[in-house]
Amino acid sequence: MSKKLPHDQIVKIKLGDSQLRQNLTVAMHTLQKNRLNVINAKFKNWQGLRDKAKKAKNNALMSLSDRLIEFEKNATANGIKVHWASSATDACEIIYELMRQNNIKKILKGKSMASEEIGLNHYLANKGLNAIETDLGELIIQLNDEAPVHIVVPAIHKNRNEIGKIFQEKLGADLENEPEKLNQIARKHLRDQFEGLEMGLSGVNFAMSKEGAFWLIENEGNGRMCTTAPQIHVALCGIEKVMESFEDAATMVHLLTPSATGQFIPTYNNIITAPRNEELDGPKEVHLILFDHHRSDMLAHHDYYEALRCIRCGACMNFCPVYDKIGGHSYQTIYPGPIGEVISPNIFGMEATGDILTFCSLCGRCSEVCPVRIPLADLIRKLRANKVGQGKNSPLSTQNGHKNRGEAFAMKQFANVATNGALWRFSLSKAHLFNKALHKFQNSIPVIKNWSKYKELPQIKKDLYKELENMEGVRYE
Amino acid sequence: MRKVYFFATCLGSAAMQDSVLNAIKLLRREGVEVIFKKNQTCCSQPSFNSGYFNESKTVAMHNINLFDEDIPIVVPSGSCAGMMGHDYLQLFEESPEFDKVQRFAARVYDLSQYLDEILQVNYEDKGEKIKVAWHSNCHALRVAKSVEASKNLIRKFANVELLELEHEEECCGFGGTFAVKESDISNAMALAKIDDIKKTGVSYLISGDGGCLLNISGTMKRNGVDIKCLHLYDFLIKRLEGAPL
Ligand code: SF4
Repeated sequence: MSKKLPHDQIVKIKLGDSQLRQNLTVAMHTLQKNRLNVINAKFKNWQGLRDKAKKAKNNALMSLSDRLIEFEKNATANGIKVHWASSATDACEIIYELMRQNNIKKILKGKSMASEEIGLNHYLANKGLNAIETDLGELIIQLNDEAPVHIVVPAIHKNRNEIGKIFQEKLGADLENEPEKLNQIARKHLRDQFEGLEMGLSGVNFAMSKEGAFWLIENEGNGRMCTTAPQIHVALCGIEKVMESFEDAATMVHLLTPSATGQFIPTYNNIITAPRNEELDGPKEVHLILFDHHRSDMLAHHDYYEALRCIRCGACMNFCPVYDKIGGHSYQTIYPGPIGEVISPNIFGMEATGDILTFCSLCGRCSEVCPVRIPLADLIRKLRANKVGQGKNSPLSTQNGHKNRGEAFAMKQFANVATNGALWRFSLSKAHLFNKALHKFQNSIPVIKNWSKYKELPQIKKDLYKELENMEGVRYE
Repeated sequence: MRKVYFFATCLGSAAMQDSVLNAIKLLRREGVEVIFKKNQTCCSQPSFNSGYFNESKTVAMHNINLFDEDIPIVVPSGSCAGMMGHDYLQLFEESPEFDKVQRFAARVYDLSQYLDEILQVNYEDKGEKIKVAWHSNCHALRVAKSVEASKNLIRKFANVELLELEHEEECCGFGGTFAVKESDISNAMALAKIDDIKKTGVSYLISGDGGCLLNISGTMKRNGVDIKCLHLYDFLIKRLEGAPL
């Protein structure tokens, strides 16, 4: 990822990008509407399904070590080679080793946020190896050298005119803006890439420990190409994706696409149980990498374990009133939006990503739409507490993060005044006398200054307490 | 006779005194006796939402001890009612005072819920025919769950037509300290909200929360938008008295 810009600077840049703003607002409102329509049209008891999913995921998390061992046993019996990775680098190294042993220079990838998380493309590029994206959205941003702006729709910030230009510049195609034409360009480009493919990489949506199998959903069919066409298929799987049974995973799939895009079911369901057996096609080897990357730290946490239920549907960002104003790149971590605010400090550390905790007005809409009932807004607030040195068990590198001493002092003062009725009354009962001064000095009092940059201040007229003392039927005591 | 505590909220006491007085009038006209504890302060949302849980607990406990008699605590803001009736429980989870906090929280009502659900008020409209739009405060909508009651109160007026915003459930960008910490983003959110309000063509916007109102009306004023923003309780009193809005 490119170098991090200062928080205020990136916000200004993104807020000032009117094309981005417009693309995102339209897209997010469409996704919101689609979700609502499918829930109303197809589900009798959506809330009940959310409860069921929460329970199933919690069951899996509470018995995760058993699940993982069971998965390894059954997947191995099926002929899948299971690898374990503790850090992001461990996971990259396993893939690199597989490429080296088989003398492979290029892999094709289906969409995988996990591979973004471990920085795989960058790692392989440093070794002189190639990783090529095949998901349409991922391909667009890879050609344009950008990070995903969204976890489900990675190029949603680009409209079709902009995509046409990227294809023209990077692929030498004719300038087009019709979706079909654009699809044809991408298709032709990818068909060429698929030729002679030796290794394909994919993520995992759900792994099932009882069956020793895993489930991948997608809409374009490229993922299926990546997992069936090459000789070797490597799947990257965060340990929290392992559930007990096929039935549990099915509950999740029912929630996933309606929440994500408003589709009732995904276009492609790929359930992978084994490498090629007697068949004539399919990969000869299937490898699955179970990686941790601080997930077990989260699992041990009293509150943040809840975020491990996430099925990466993206609904929380689709409904976030901050996300559609600033876009995913403002977060400068690969997981943006509400879930990004919760897991980024846990995975990448508070020092590196704690600044994004202010990207939230705590409106609570994310918690309301999350299909697995992660209390995202509450968790964001708890992380803020960790950041200022309060709350329980802080995540990684919290001690190194920037502490705002001025704010801490102001909050102590606030608590002093707000527990002293006479002092409080004294300040407020005189407020109307200061009305003029407040308006006059609005640009020099820091908090007021930020307010009055965009908004008028209220007029303060009365001494409330005096009025109350004389009001009939009111006991002022 | 019914008797309640009234919690004016910090914003009410500091900047919206008329709305506080009108809110109390609404209780008085139903014959409710109102106890105003003069040592009341703030519900502690500003520090809570910034992550200062220790300070918030101190302020919360000040309120819990102050409103000690077993009668309802009525709050003219869904946001603060949500804080005191729900978030206090989270703040004190696993602390020895939890039971006490729980007993307190159960007595907290948003004023519109108290008027609509408990007192089941009847209102006679003395005003002209008008169209108004409603803005939902997020905390009122999702935590206190008082928005339906607030709208019901408006619906009691025969001459008032209540229009819905297309994106009613979207935050206006206030969010307490958010509005000053991320003032650029907050402004973008307020402007999006104002566009949505303008689309309805109304001349009046009503909301049950002082913070959202200051945010929306302050931004409207700065941008020369001519829509009058009214606090729900000011609106109700004016319709009941036939006074100009
Ligand atoms: S946190 Fe919930 S809403 Fe957000 S991506 Fe994960 S499952 Fe979806």
